[in-house]
Amino acid sequence: MPVQIILVPARFLTLIAHLVIVIIIFWSRENSVRACLPLDYSDEEYRSEDTRLVVALSVTLGLFAIELMGFLSGVSLFNNNQALLSIGCHASGCVALLFFLFEQWTCSIYWWIFAFCRSVKLQSLFSLI
Amino acid sequence: MAFYEAYSHPALVRYKTNICTRATLFVMVVLCLTYISPLLVAYRSQGFWLKRSTYEEQPVVQFQYDMILIGATNTAGNYVAWSTFPNFNRLVGDNLRIPSVSVQEEDRNQDGKSDFLNLQINIPLKPEEQMFTIQLLLTFTYQLFRMSTVAMQTLAFVQHSSSVPGSQLFISADLRLHQRTPLPHRGVHAVYNVSVIDASSPFASSYDLANIIGLYQKRNLTTQLSGAVPVWTVGRAANTPFQIRTQINYPVDTITYPLHTVSVLISLTVSSTYRLGFWETVKFAWIQYVSVLLIFLWIFQHIQTFVFQNQVIPTTKVLPFKQHNI
Repeated sequence: MPVQIILVPARFLTLIAHLVIVIIIFWSRENSVRACLPLDYSDEEYRSEDTRLVVALSVTLGLFAIELMGFLSGVSLFNNNQALLSIGCHASGCVALLFFLFEQWTCSIYWWIFAFCRSVKLQSLFSLI
Repeated sequence: MAFYEAYSHPALVRYKTNICTRATLFVMVVLCLTYISPLLVAYRSQGFWLKRSTYEEQPVVQFQYDMILIGATNTAGNYVAWSTFPNFNRLVGDNLRIPSVSVQEEDRNQDGKSDFLNLQINIPLKPEEQMFTIQLLLTFTYQLFRMSTVAMQTLAFVQHSSSVPGSQLFISADLRLHQRTPLPHRGVHAVYNVSVIDASSPFASSYDLANIIGLYQKRNLTTQLSGAVPVWTVGRAANTPFQIRTQINYPVDTITYPLHTVSVLISLTVSSTYRLGFWETVKFAWIQYVSVLLIFLWIFQHIQTFVFQNQVIPTTKVLPFKQHNI
């Protein structure tokens, strides 16, 4: 089918781009954590915020693993709904996380991005299975 | 013979569907992304709502012929003084020394607004007296007309002291507007149209230069001498008066004014009493929004064409030309 020639690579690229940004945030999370805290903070607060961000990022990575498995195993390869949803969610997730990283938004926003992009994807994935 | 294409126009392929379908959802999402994203992009990149702008205008400045002049004649603190206020002259007592003053305001380019002021003051001094310090306070009326009408009374303060006695002080400066807050873009602003010196007061504190300057500096709109270049000439001949020559230019001023900020796009009910500031703000915001909108429209047009043409989401295709069933 001619449409899959475009849909499958687009889905793969947006998925990988989203994954890359999440990994970058994971590796350079010091700046993001400092953006979440008030101006003068204690080590205790820093560590708790850090833990919270690590948890969020780890959950994200876990869900990425599930989605990659679903995608690469070919289960949802020809499902147009899945493809569109995946592309849409990952693209908007990419843009949102880019802003999160560069503009140093507060950590609570990460949870919103997570909730929006991931839960929609999760529901659709489970309905497929 | 058909040589070239004179004109062409697209024929529309329509994709129809019911209301409760994935296609509707897709179209809703795309519409939101198309029309809201440029607003975010333009807003986040600063300068969406123009907060203030500037304009240039040469003010109408007139010398008010009121001045206070104080000169120190030796290092022990003796001074001579003179002013156009009778109460001040009375308070000064024996130190009063009446100079000869000549004033000339010239309109060089004949546009009805004076361009500079030439002031010459000759203070007679006794042969044993010397002049070390000069403090001169001049009063002006300052008016602006282009946006809001501003009328105020302002002052210029010249002060120069030298450890060497002099024969002449020449000072050349520009009288410039100093704003702490932006001026409104319309209306009358005559709050400062009061005299900087209270001429009817008999108290010495009203004529104390520090008090006058202190009160004057509390205003949000003042004029100050900028680029003042004093030239102190030494070597006064015994019987010549001390000369003060000032040349004060009235240049074109840059005035900042605020535009009205609106946080919500108001519905365009046409009313003849809309303010200039609102439309200027909206005009600049619209330019920014539309230029980013064009990019998003182009991107999503291609995405939607791809999605509907290849039936990624199933819809009913309606072709422009009738299909003949053979």
